[in-house]
Amino acid sequence: MASLDDEIENLQARVSTLKSQLQIQTSTLLAAPSTRKLLSPPSSALSLPADDNTPLRQKLLARSGIQHAHNQQCLYRACAGLTLFRAHDPDPSAVDGGAILGLRIEVVSRAKFLRPYYVLLNRPYPGSGHLRVHRHTIPACIPLAGLAVRWLPPPKGEAKQDLARFARVLRLEVVRYHHRLGAVADLRKAAGLGRKKSRAAAEAEEQDVLGARAELAGGKLVDITPADAEAKQISVEWADGRAGRLVMGDDGEIVKLVVVGEGGRDREAVRELLGEATTIEDVVRRLTSG
Amino acid sequence: MARISVPTTARLPSSLRVATSNPAVSKILNHLSRASLLSVALDWLDENNQALAAPYLRETEDEDDDLDDLNPPAQSLEELQKLYADLQARKGSKREVLDRIVEGDWRHGLSLYQLAMADLQHLYDHPLSQKWSAYRIVPLKPAPRDGDGDDQPPPVADKESLVVPRFHPSTFLNALQAQVLPDVKAHYNFDRHRALPLLLLRIFILDSPYNTSLGIATPKPAPATFDTSRTVYIAFPDASPHVFISKPQTVGAGAGAGESKSLRTLIVEGIPKALSRPRQRFTLKSTSLATRNLEEMVERRGSQRTNNAAGGWGVYADENKKESPLDTVLPTPPLSEEEGREGKKRARALSPATRREERAAKRARLVAKARFGESARVDDGKGVERVDVVIEDAFPENEPTGEPGRRERPDGGDKEGEAGGQWRPNVRLTFHGPHVFAGLRQLVEHGIIDGERMPGWLTGEEGVTVGAVRNGRIRGYKGSGV
Repeated sequence: MASLDDEIENLQARVSTLKSQLQIQTSTLLAAPSTRKLLSPPSSALSLPADDNTPLRQKLLARSGIQHAHNQQCLYRACAGLTLFRAHDPDPSAVDGGAILGLRIEVVSRAKFLRPYYVLLNRPYPGSGHLRVHRHTIPACIPLAGLAVRWLPPPKGEAKQDLARFARVLRLEVVRYHHRLGAVADLRKAAGLGRKKSRAAAEAEEQDVLGARAELAGGKLVDITPADAEAKQISVEWADGRAGRLVMGDDGEIVKLVVVGEGGRDREAVRELLGEATTIEDVVRRLTSG
Repeated sequence: MARISVPTTARLPSSLRVATSNPAVSKILNHLSRASLLSVALDWLDENNQALAAPYLRETEDEDDDLDDLNPPAQSLEELQKLYADLQARKGSKREVLDRIVEGDWRHGLSLYQLAMADLQHLYDHPLSQKWSAYRIVPLKPAPRDGDGDDQPPPVADKESLVVPRFHPSTFLNALQAQVLPDVKAHYNFDRHRALPLLLLRIFILDSPYNTSLGIATPKPAPATFDTSRTVYIAFPDASPHVFISKPQTVGAGAGAGESKSLRTLIVEGIPKALSRPRQRFTLKSTSLATRNLEEMVERRGSQRTNNAAGGWGVYADENKKESPLDTVLPTPPLSEEEGREGKKRARALSPATRREERAAKRARLVAKARFGESARVDDGKGVERVDVVIEDAFPENEPTGEPGRRERPDGGDKEGEAGGQWRPNVRLTFHGPHVFAGLRQLVEHGIIDGERMPGWLTGEEGVTVGAVRNGRIRGYKGSGV
């Protein structure tokens, strides 16, 4: 019985793989220039005969058009990192007829596109096109409210809204945040610390296999974790009980590192860990090489 | 036991023992089931907890003078560990374990740390036992000075601030202790929540200026100094500028309730001060969300994407959905997924009436999916148990849009206010149930509520449990919206 169940399971897995492959092939074929030429109205010798104007051909043409649009969208998303789209608010009493302007922020982390972050804007102020943040999926550690007040103020004062600026600044903050998380993950890897599912914020970061163990004189690093919401502070722990706090700037530059051991502040350890490093990447490099 | 009690401003030490005859001890322990009682006792016997939860052990062999002792003290920690593990393996009564703990192995009293552990175990066993309200930590800025007055106006909320509040447990505790009045003693215990990304702080308050066991000894006729209403939990979600504070249950009536209320206010006022630093001040702002369900709290006020994308907007926040721009396969719209499967089943001929009914039912299901997304499922464990809404809209004139089935308890609907020529009845809606929005979703799925005309706040997308509706929308600046 068990073998039969296994077989069924295997076959089902194969069916789903084949199905997804079929989808990929379909989209590739549809997007190919030669297919489009083939389907387009008969102007060249290559296209199908004109009398073959069946509903099937119409359907294929429509599908090809959709695929083309989707490819273009993907291209913009991949290259621009910041795209707009339109959406509809299903609430029957939504402002402005439920029209929504969506802002899509792409984030790349560990050579992968993460699920984009969205900011959905509406226009609740009658008689003016001023935007307001309606819903969003930005993590709580990004001060979206402050940014919105700065760049998308309500139409009361003389302050003007600047959506482009808002979007750019917001994207900068999001990307910086992910880079800081990535830097912490790199540090952990460089120090030979494995994957640890502790902080929700760090979960988005992929951590690979254990890196080379970095032994430092006077003990080994046993824990490196982001210590605050924005991942600007990193707490570092040594095997012999020393604990340190590293403060990063917005762009990963090292602002401060304090290590406290049993006998008070341990400046030796600070020098050992940092050396000449001025940014967090330098520290990672030091750890991996040393 | 300490000989002298000197009033101090320090906090209560975790190692302070409370006599087992104290009503608080039996109250806390009686809350627990047999299994949790045993697991807590085994935790106490753990090597790491010996400093704060050491059991009563017999020191020498020859001293068996009290033969009538029902629970003779053990000789070593290992023996006790084995004993409790055995108790865990076999069946028995809770009474037996309780007696063993109170009269046997911890006859010299339970430390405050042990009580905190037992209380936390109760919280894990009954996750809905506390009612939590969420507060947002808002940065403050000094108000602009008007004229040449010497008195500094109180600071105002700094909406432009880009500061994300930082939280450091031990600094926070020190600062909070400084805020608590010197004639009130508190015991603080930090613990990480087992399942959720939360740091729990249990504050146990005692009305005594002393921090030795004499203060706890309940001398005179006042056994009421120990009360469960004097325990306050504060939960700090990871990487989120929010704080969840538990409401103490009002057990006692009259003065006790008022007292515990003022105590809570004291703490609520102390928290922002404890979070603040020189030149960086914060205040707490209510976010109109109060529920017993911590998981829902973390979802709505946590660090993840779901904070401001509840209800149908959850499709934008769903982490499991892959949406890479490198994937050129055409995405299937979320509502069309089921159609392929359904089509094959309906091969048999059906009468037109049945078919129409089926089509309507399917449409209702799809509409529910469109409005609620993946949220508000009965079994997702993220339900709020009570939602209060005040409707401030004018009475619809042309068309009586009766909303049967939505109003579960329209109380207080008889008061009328005539404003601006329009009749604005005073309507308050209260929704009650284990999972309010799941219930509404089911009503939509069964076609009782017209899902397309249902106002958005009925989907729970605002993420509030108290709100006022105007123009069909919950007024902003409270829950969602920025």
